[in-house]
Amino acid sequence: MNPIAPRLTACFQTVFPDLPAAEIPAASQATVAAWDSVAAITLVNVIEEEFGFEMDLDQLADLDSFSRILDYVSREAPAA
Amino acid sequence: MKLTEALRILQQAPKTASLFRVALACGFTPLHMQTFLAAHLQQRLADRLVTISTGLYGDVPVTLTSLANVDGVALPLEWADLDPRLGYRGAGDWGPAALPDILAGAMAMLDRIAAALERIPPAIPIAVCRPTLPLPPIFHTAGWQAAEAELELERKLAEFASRIGRRCSLVNATRLGEDSPPAGRLDLRSDLLTGLPYTLPHAAAVGRALAHLLAPPAPKKGLITDLDDTLWHGLVGEVGAENVSWDLASHSQLHGLYQKLLASLAGEGVLVGVASKNDAPVVERTFEREDLLLPRDRIFPLEAHWSAKSGSVERILRTWNIAADSVVFVDDSAMELAEVAAAHPGIECLLFPKSDYAAGYALLRRLRDLFGKPRLSEEDAIRLESIRQGSGFQAVEGEASAETFLEQAEAAITFDFSPASDPRALELVNKTNQFNLNGIRYTEAEWKSRLELPGALRMVAGYRDKFGPLGKIAVLEGRHEGETLFIDAWVMSCRAFSRRIEHQCLQTLFERYAAKEIRFAFQPTPKNGPLRDFFTALAGQPPDAPFALERTQFEERLPRLYHRVIDASTSSNP
Repeated sequence: MNPIAPRLTACFQTVFPDLPAAEIPAASQATVAAWDSVAAITLVNVIEEEFGFEMDLDQLADLDSFSRILDYVSREAPAA
Repeated sequence: MKLTEALRILQQAPKTASLFRVALACGFTPLHMQTFLAAHLQQRLADRLVTISTGLYGDVPVTLTSLANVDGVALPLEWADLDPRLGYRGAGDWGPAALPDILAGAMAMLDRIAAALERIPPAIPIAVCRPTLPLPPIFHTAGWQAAEAELELERKLAEFASRIGRRCSLVNATRLGEDSPPAGRLDLRSDLLTGLPYTLPHAAAVGRALAHLLAPPAPKKGLITDLDDTLWHGLVGEVGAENVSWDLASHSQLHGLYQKLLASLAGEGVLVGVASKNDAPVVERTFEREDLLLPRDRIFPLEAHWSAKSGSVERILRTWNIAADSVVFVDDSAMELAEVAAAHPGIECLLFPKSDYAAGYALLRRLRDLFGKPRLSEEDAIRLESIRQGSGFQAVEGEASAETFLEQAEAAITFDFSPASDPRALELVNKTNQFNLNGIRYTEAEWKSRLELPGALRMVAGYRDKFGPLGKIAVLEGRHEGETLFIDAWVMSCRAFSRRIEHQCLQTLFERYAAKEIRFAFQPTPKNGPLRDFFTALAGQPPDAPFALERTQFEERLPRLYHRVIDASTSSNP
């Protein structure tokens, strides 16, 4: 299991408290109604706080699902 | 506070609690500023559900003029709110040719904002944070030189602050600078991509500062201080009254500063007492020194003996008639602090640092924060005197029979039934614990709106006797419907106990409204035992929920009252 996943799941739980934990791995902008533009920025900032690096906001449009964000963080976060 | 923590605080807020509605009037994208403000308010108002509404992007005056149903307003102002060219998101020119127009526009906008703030109903508290971000590099000077136009902007901003300071609470810019250093405030990436110009730490700091102003902590009421190596340098029992010091020449100025602060606090209505292990005559001789910066008459009571300090604190609290959690105890001995803290849970114990100047400065600031209050009232000025007189009252009462004493006290109570705009009434309701009907606190807006209910009544009682005035000491609030009165709030200052003022309040209500019964919205709280005892004496059993008191029942148990009753509408207050 990707060691980043539990920490990223916690970030999702913070931003989307109504989203059941079991559904987080499959979560995407298309399936989570609360995932609007404000939530997207909030999610980025929460992830930045958790992993201690600055995400590229130009890629925000592509970071539209848990799995894509997991890939991105695994690739970009320091010591990930 | 981190963003994650703020979000969790908001998720854990009590969803069914009564609302505390705040309008966040910011010209930029509120985003995390909104989250941090809500979270900091929620921390302070644990029994409320904080909600934040936001206004129009880029138009602060319009947002301020379209407020509805709010309990408070928060305005984090930024330079770009005054003219978009003073920010980074606009396309307008920055050159010297544009500067006169930018200045004129900014000044006009400050006037519009001030006017909009002044139109907000006085009952709604307003918290304002002046611009916190550096001005963009639009001036012809290098960054290390202040430009003439920049100084002109700052002058106008100072005028604006002075004007709105009469109506609004303003964030202390210096203190904010300590929490959020200027270099770490602007997040250009966030500004350009999302519209929020603040870094997360700065948004948290501004949110915290605004929340402090909208929901300030209750100020402490009393300070008990040690003497040796605290109020002065040296052990007076060993070196003598003439050799303890608190001045620059003796390298003991820290003690002098502490004395000056205590004198200042006493002048603002803070009770100052002394708990010292010393021989009383030696202490009294020291207080005869004319160079003391805290005069002896500002201290009451003074406990100087060799018994445990927890006992001294116990007696001082009883004389003041306030709870330990309203009091700060300062001593240079960690052991004495621990002994007092163990005996009086809730008391705030602070160590006086004898030779650590940085810690001494921190202590002075901490004391100012603990005792700071937004405004001073008439009652603040007479509090010490009324406590002292109350002590005299109790001493004389102990000698004479209570009945004879009350008869000879020459007491007068003034009842004011039209105190709509008296801030003292709400202050009393929100800070009184012991004689409090149910412990419910109100915002200014809620308090004002209650007067608009059908049959609303509000009564403020002021008291004086031959020992002096106590000022306004009791508030009753509710409504009347036919021959029934409904009392939703009733508080009385602990300074006013033992004078049958509470009996006179009810007697006056029964008579004025020709009422046959009063229904009290009573709820027991951890601290309102004195009011519960009063009701027990009247009703024959302790209440544990709202209850009704019939006039016949009240009159059967009413002791004799000796007060002269004055109607404020026909006379001046006692």
